Amino acid sequence: MKLRSNVKIVLFTLVFVLFSIMSVQAVTLEVMDSVIVESPEREALLQIIENFEEENPDITIDYQGVPMNDAYAQIPTLATSGALPDVYLATLDFIGTFEDMGIATDLRDVFSQEYLDGFNQNSLSELTVDGKVLAHPFFVIPMGVLYRIDWFEEKGLTPPETWEEFLDIANELTEDTNGDGSVDRWGFAMLASRDGSGGSRFIQIFRTFGGYELRLNDEGEYVTDVNTPQGRNAFEFFTELNTEHEVVPPGPMEVSYGEALNLMATNKTAMMVTGPHSIGGIIERNPELDGKIGAFPLPMAQDGGKHISVLNTYGHAINPDSDKKEEAAKFLKFLVNDESALLWNEMTGRMPTRTGLLQSPEVQDRPDLAGFVEAMDYAEPLPTVSYYSTIMTDILPSAYQSIIVGQATVEEAAERAEERIISLIEEN
Amino acid sequence: MKSLFSLKTEHKYGYIFILPVAAVLGILIIYPLLYGFYISFFQTNLINRWNFVELENYINIFSGNSEFVNSIFVSIKFTSVVVLSHLVLGLLLAVILNKKNLPFKELFRSILMIPWFFPEVVVALLWRWIFNSMYGVFNYLLMNLNIIEDKITWLSSMRGAFFVVVFTAVWKGYPLILVMILAGLQSIPEELYEVAKIDGANSFQTFFYITLPNLRSVLLVSLILDTVWWFKNFPIVWLMTRGGPVNATNVVSIDIYQTAFQSFNFGKASASAVIVFFICLGIAMIYKSMITEEEM
Repeated sequence: MKLRSNVKIVLFTLVFVLFSIMSVQAVTLEVMDSVIVESPEREALLQIIENFEEENPDITIDYQGVPMNDAYAQIPTLATSGALPDVYLATLDFIGTFEDMGIATDLRDVFSQEYLDGFNQNSLSELTVDGKVLAHPFFVIPMGVLYRIDWFEEKGLTPPETWEEFLDIANELTEDTNGDGSVDRWGFAMLASRDGSGGSRFIQIFRTFGGYELRLNDEGEYVTDVNTPQGRNAFEFFTELNTEHEVVPPGPMEVSYGEALNLMATNKTAMMVTGPHSIGGIIERNPELDGKIGAFPLPMAQDGGKHISVLNTYGHAINPDSDKKEEAAKFLKFLVNDESALLWNEMTGRMPTRTGLLQSPEVQDRPDLAGFVEAMDYAEPLPTVSYYSTIMTDILPSAYQSIIVGQATVEEAAERAEERIISLIEEN
Repeated sequence: MKSLFSLKTEHKYGYIFILPVAAVLGILIIYPLLYGFYISFFQTNLINRWNFVELENYINIFSGNSEFVNSIFVSIKFTSVVVLSHLVLGLLLAVILNKKNLPFKELFRSILMIPWFFPEVVVALLWRWIFNSMYGVFNYLLMNLNIIEDKITWLSSMRGAFFVVVFTAVWKGYPLILVMILAGLQSIPEELYEVAKIDGANSFQTFFYITLPNLRSVLLVSLILDTVWWFKNFPIVWLMTRGGPVNATNVVSIDIYQTAFQSFNFGKASASAVIVFFICLGIAMIYKSMITEEEM
């Protein structure tokens, strides 16, 4: 009798222990991201993941890194083989492609409308296609111009309003600093590479001249202004920074994002078109520059131009075939909660997307972010069409490169770009 | 066709033994080839859009200001220069290394083989930094030797970029040709050279009338393998220039990659790949017609 009851106790205990183990068995959430391959973003993200896993012991995050310029070759490849992770990066230049391929969950089915209303609506709209919210905003990097505060102060310069003033400043800061007869410092780190880093920056400079690379006309059809006077002026100004004014280091077509950060960090250039995320990268490379980097909004063309910025919202899409949408939602919410978002902003400079946090003193009162905060007032969305990436990474970079190398005049390059964009519009 | 059961035992086992390799080849080569051919008749993103467009993709790649046609010409130019350079450099070095009285022969052979051991990715990134306009050691050396006054923007000019990718490809690929030609030289009977010497032939005559004819089959094999390999090369050009500046180094493999993974036009990319397949097949058939059964 006693033995039987002992056996019962042991069995009961075993079942209880097994049940407990099964109920706390960790779910592994696969997340693909490009920011984790950069520093100091990696350190910040690992800290956030650690905090999340502490709070949620039943969820393990398996983070996979992929460089930004390679991400959108990898994601469709994974999609065709059914190997997409649960959560993966999404940015406005490819969100149209995600919709076209049907590889992003409509997050209105995952998050409440009240929660979605808590985002900066410009930021949310950059990840929305035809009313569907296809990605969860993580951070924004409004474009402006990073500059060396100390060099400006040395020369008694102030941030420019127009591109003409910008050019004067760039000329002033292009000089031979060590007296060996060769210029060793330039005014501007031009990204003229043939990829998203170069193309995305050029598009914003282009728009400050009053034209649009792609826009909807009054009839609701897509048109392009690349071959209008404003468009040609943009091409001319941009390329002449190198070919005529020489305020750019030699070899701008070899300069993509990483190379431009190196130019800033090694005291070779005074200004760079970029977002607040670059501050952390520059200081990581050269800690002596801490406190010496500032920002101002993109200048505008004197005639008919306007200040422009793009929020460049970076977010995460949820795989429609994932069976861990609940866990994914939990993780994405955690990424943008107050603690995580402020830690992220403090370490990387990338700005939060929740409205309340954007207005917080921690963001608004940071002197190095002031220019980007101002730039957000000029934010305009980019088109979310499936062929936008071709315009940004191929058509426009090919155009400005052909002018820089002298293969085409501004008019020829603009005409060719217009032909290619119109062809894309018609095909789609 | 005889059934497997009616084959002699040794034949049967032969087929059985090659079956696993054939299966792997079928899965890794035949199936993707046929699938690519199939895709080329569709306008597709490979996921949820499959529009049968017949030959429209093939027509589009040759129409208008075709990027693909331009990339074919760039590829032909690139391949011609690289392969010719490999042959000349490989032949020259092989002849030198084949000399009996060359001191430290084994050491030189090892050093000359080094480029072959590096992965193409490493080679591309190394030379890209060596030729970097701002920080590259090549410009630094040229300026210190007073050969140039201003830095040369190697990868930012059309001719410079083409030269650099060709140079890198030549550096990477010559060891294979060197090894093949060296093996061919060592198989030429010594008696032929002795007879030539007795008959009063000089070095040039010996080289053109004995060495080259005996190397014919090796040179042809090297030529064809090298041509097909470099015609479709991707890593070196992509990592160094991404096909730029403008389209200066936009070889056909890069055009196909961009069509597939930047424009997501997989049908058109597959059609381009099919065309490249037939070009490479044509090269192989030219080889077959130039080489006799005995030489094979």
